[in-house]
Amino acid sequence: MDERFTAVLLPFLKFHTDGPLEPESDLRGLGLDSMQAIDLLFAIEDAYGISLPDEAMNDTTFATAGNLWKEVSAVLTGQPGAAAPGTGAA
Amino acid sequence: MSAPVTTGPERTLEALADQVCAVAARHADHADETAVFPTEALAELRRTGLLALLVEGRHGGLDGGLADMVRVTLRLGRTDMSLAMIFAMHCQQVWAIARHAGPDLRERLLPWVAEGRYLASVTTGESTGGHLLTSETGVRRDGDHLMVERFAPVVTGGLHADGFLMTVRAADAESPTAVSLLFADRDQLTVEAAGAWRPMGMRASHSPPLRLSGRIPRAQIIGQDGDFRAIVTRTFGPAAHLGWSAAWLGTATGALARVLAMLRAPGRERTRTSSELLLTRLSRARQRLDVVHALLARTLETVTTADDLSRPPLQLQINALKITAAEECHRAVDDLVDAVGMRHGYLKDSPTGLERALRDLRSASLNYSNDRLHLVDGKLALLDPEVHFV
Repeated sequence: MDERFTAVLLPFLKFHTDGPLEPESDLRGLGLDSMQAIDLLFAIEDAYGISLPDEAMNDTTFATAGNLWKEVSAVLTGQPGAAAPGTGAA
Repeated sequence: MSAPVTTGPERTLEALADQVCAVAARHADHADETAVFPTEALAELRRTGLLALLVEGRHGGLDGGLADMVRVTLRLGRTDMSLAMIFAMHCQQVWAIARHAGPDLRERLLPWVAEGRYLASVTTGESTGGHLLTSETGVRRDGDHLMVERFAPVVTGGLHADGFLMTVRAADAESPTAVSLLFADRDQLTVEAAGAWRPMGMRASHSPPLRLSGRIPRAQIIGQDGDFRAIVTRTFGPAAHLGWSAAWLGTATGALARVLAMLRAPGRERTRTSSELLLTRLSRARQRLDVVHALLARTLETVTTADDLSRPPLQLQINALKITAAEECHRAVDDLVDAVGMRHGYLKDSPTGLERALRDLRSASLNYSNDRLHLVDGKLALLDPEVHFV
């Protein structure tokens, strides 16, 4: 997780107190609710100029900081993320 | 053309549901008039074993699944929507226990349910309304126990329940989104009515505000502490939308069937079927119900076969069922009121029963508000930019 990622993420986590954000940090427990997931997604996509795949849009991706970062870094490095492949079009 | 012959367990379930309907029909007018709980019909649900429909056979239940719950709820809805909702929501609680309770709790609760216990759901809050994923009710931890002080503005059948599944903010959690689902036996709680129940419809659901307090073992938390969300996505939400939609569709189906029976009966009303306006209105009502029925069947398949229900296209379909069923079932009965007019459509004592069905169905769009669900769906739609259908 790079600095830009945590900087984008932190404003969505209203219950995060001091201390570093860990990959296993529970985003929902820290205040991210389901209605904000899309706003967070837009913020991340704007920050990196990327677009996350539809396949990554599930509860697992938004469960922890590490899961979300995995999807972001997969797009940045051109590698398939945890959600792909095989979960394609429904 | 002959009707398909239904045999085996399906036939038996429908027969059991009809047995309950026969009792419910005798008391439904009185229950509606006086806004009291249908205790006779609940006793029949107990006696037929239908309260344990979703409990496995080895625990003494009927070994049914969601498809069975839908089938029985449709049947009950034809006679009384309050009863159908009471049944469907009880099944939703049982399903949550069966799928999410730890092994010890499950082994203890399911045989207890199979003995004929009725479970109520406590998920509403003073300022959160029906919003499931926040809870303002903090619980205090006391060793291995939780001290609960809970107010809920709407609890269907709460004063008649043998047990409750209630949402509480996870002990010591800062975040209101860390919500847990807690089982409480009636005997572990003090349950007080905190107001009267004087609604427009759904009067027999007897859903007054309640105040519940007690000291509950932490071991009675269903699923992970603070992770009610997982239960909502996988079980609670889908079961609610399937069950409610079945109750609404059943209600509108019963209304249409009674109107058709009146029009088909020998006598004066039969001559009205030459009216093109009447035919068009009957067609429109039937069309609405066919749409809801098709979506209900499709969503049932999605819920029972999909791996990950959290994906937006699946959530959207489950929510579309609820919104569509609420709107179309109400509109279908409203159409029927126009179709048969003042005497048969509007008067309380008409054998078509449209007046009560319409009042009852008015609650459908409010019962977890369609407006709120549209806000969720708007966000979900944005999360599925390529627009996948399931």
